[in-house]
Amino acid sequence: MAQKVSIDPFTRIEGHLAISLDVEANRVKSAQCKGEMFRGFEQIMKGRSPLDAQQITQRICGVCPVSHGLASVFCQEDAYNMQLPENARLIRNIMLAGNYVQSHITHFYHLSALDFVDVTGILGYTGNDRFLLGVKDWVKSEVASKKLFPAAPFLPRYEGEYLTEAQGNISALRNYFTALDMRAMAHQLVAIFAGKMPHMATLVPGGVTEKITTKKIALCRSKLSELRTFYENNYAADVLAVAGAFPSYASIGRGCGNFLSFGVFEDMANNSSQMLFPPGVLIDGKFSQLDTKQISEEVTYSKYSSDSGFGTTKPQPAKSGAYSWLKAPRYQGEPMEVGPLARIMVAYQSGQDSELNRATKKFLSNTGLTIDQLDSCLGRHAARIIETEVIIKNCEKWIEMLNPTKPTCVDFNLPSSASGEGLVEAPRGALGHWIEIENYKVKGYECVVPTTWNCSPMDGRGVAGPVEQSLMGTYVADKDHPIEAARIVRSYDPCLACAVH
Amino acid sequence: MSNDFTRREFIKMGSRLAVVMGLSSSAIPDIAEALENLATGRVGVMWMQAQSCSGCTISMIDSEAPGPAELLTRYISLLFHHTLSATTGEMCMDIIDKTTSAGKHILVVEGAIPDGMPDACMIGHRSINEVVKNAAASASYVVAIGACAAFGGIPAADNNPTGAISVPDFLKKSGVNTPTLVIPGCPSHPDWFVGSLVYLLKFGVPPLDDMNRPLMFFGNTNHHSCPRFYDYERANFAKKFSDPGCLFELGCLGVVTYADCTLRDRNGGINNCIKAGAPCVGCSSEIFALRKSMPFYRKGENLS
Repeated sequence: MAQKVSIDPFTRIEGHLAISLDVEANRVKSAQCKGEMFRGFEQIMKGRSPLDAQQITQRICGVCPVSHGLASVFCQEDAYNMQLPENARLIRNIMLAGNYVQSHITHFYHLSALDFVDVTGILGYTGNDRFLLGVKDWVKSEVASKKLFPAAPFLPRYEGEYLTEAQGNISALRNYFTALDMRAMAHQLVAIFAGKMPHMATLVPGGVTEKITTKKIALCRSKLSELRTFYENNYAADVLAVAGAFPSYASIGRGCGNFLSFGVFEDMANNSSQMLFPPGVLIDGKFSQLDTKQISEEVTYSKYSSDSGFGTTKPQPAKSGAYSWLKAPRYQGEPMEVGPLARIMVAYQSGQDSELNRATKKFLSNTGLTIDQLDSCLGRHAARIIETEVIIKNCEKWIEMLNPTKPTCVDFNLPSSASGEGLVEAPRGALGHWIEIENYKVKGYECVVPTTWNCSPMDGRGVAGPVEQSLMGTYVADKDHPIEAARIVRSYDPCLACAVH
Repeated sequence: MSNDFTRREFIKMGSRLAVVMGLSSSAIPDIAEALENLATGRVGVMWMQAQSCSGCTISMIDSEAPGPAELLTRYISLLFHHTLSATTGEMCMDIIDKTTSAGKHILVVEGAIPDGMPDACMIGHRSINEVVKNAAASASYVVAIGACAAFGGIPAADNNPTGAISVPDFLKKSGVNTPTLVIPGCPSHPDWFVGSLVYLLKFGVPPLDDMNRPLMFFGNTNHHSCPRFYDYERANFAKKFSDPGCLFELGCLGVVTYADCTLRDRNGGINNCIKAGAPCVGCSSEIFALRKSMPFYRKGENLS
């Protein structure tokens, strides 16, 4: 007899997600991934000036606004038929790199780590780190207090197996707090050229309004060098320590087995065939070139009235059988996993030489893991540290290539009618924006967003989305504390504000 | 609290906060005392996300002096937060319910409320409308943080398919009279939140304008301390993006936007929009993003 297990609200992700599981004899038989918040960005874009798009669509998500902003200016620049100055490409790469580093650090330490690291371990701390002693005293006094919920927001939590090795546990806990400063610093790196973060001010079709000065170059260098040190000494080491303590998570959480990447970080201005992270599609392990015409969205189990795909859907919250505000995007009719794991899988399986491919091979040979084992809960965390290293190295290069004597922006004329496509990889995966302009106004605007792919509900054929497939068959030791399921879902870094928008 | 955390440090932090709040150095001892009381009393804060992008959450954890680590472990008891709480699943609803019935907490709401379509934002099988209404009714104070909670923002813009409205409008409609601070911005600046919170706890409700925005942050326009003010005075206007000069003709709303971004800067003093050549889009103003007839930029056909 299957029992219903519900994780609602699903916290420590972005936005409003609920997971519901059918569990039989401690195994997940089926899973439903439910997006619980809808705003209607595509409808809100209609009738606006096309130039509002990068400002409005950044606000889809406060965690990865840079990606939405970029997808939006890319689709406009496609529609306006523009060539960009080299500085614009470099600055945009630097801003996106900073946002990746911020997003990945936040995901590991502040969203995921509390599933593995034992906060109560601080009570046994005997060292002399002043900050940790403060935290220890605080936890002690909280636990001794008569408060209803002592040591919030760190307790209560799902009980289960946490890190038992004291030194690694304390180090990861210390880094939870250090990482708060580091992720703020990554945002400062973005804001040097973005004006502010979240929600960049300077991004416009044609480039970036901010200018390059030697002082800004020096600031970028110093922020990035601190982030590099934190990556090398702490982030990578903490992920590997968690992986070492929970080896079974390298064999659970396998997704749908199909991967999609749009490619990102142009290596040369106006040449999308040269990407640091290559585009591509893997279906059943077979690599093919990306063709966005193969993308469809359907709404059989989504709370929308029409299933004719782009642009025509209307919200219908009480639709019978529908269980999510997410649509179900498919490529050639298949569900696809997107994100850091998809990027390294595509780079690796394409067989072409790339920096990401080499970094992946180096990681596999250092850890003794196989590429197949990366398709797992732990593999997704590993993919983030693999690509973060490549991003930081290249960001150093981009900073040195900035030229203060050359422009960062070109002017353009707004056409009365045009359409365009903008593709980018957000930290969480493949992101596409499509714009249609008529009489100088937006006639149609579509976003197909990373978490829409990953957390998608079933399609009309009854095929479950990637996260849903990942949960099926998972062993859940205690149905009141389904921490195994929580760890698997968080490995995808879901962003629900993005997914529904 | 750690014995190492001395009065000296409260004074140090107090002086930084006095600057944040635009107060003179004579206020430092008062603020230091407020911080000390906070650290021992630790007020309960519940942070709910409605129709939001989490951008204000992300901005808050970009705070410095006090940084997020100090806020979490020294000054506030963050009872529930969607993005930060270790707690997940049904336990969250238990925390929300018990905090709501105990009352006297501070309720922070990020995001607009889908008044016309409660199904558009659900938590634990309940609409956020119901959860926010109850938690606000028993709270000591409500803080509406960010453009969406403050004025409706993008979810409430033209075409608004969910009937999204601001938190103050929703509470008024629901007959909830709890004192409410409005701290707009997209995202809100961490200083605006932290400074308001400290003021609230030490002195009570700060002086507010007619939209309940604290005057210490929203008393002047961005134009007031604009780095391009002299270009404006000399009618030296930028004609296209990235030009030097005043950004007014490109659509800058600094002259009508009450906020102190140009004075305070963003992200730890790194930059601000206008300094970086970007016209102010008025993200702190009550009209932010609401009308499609008011584009952010003036260019080409938009000039008429």
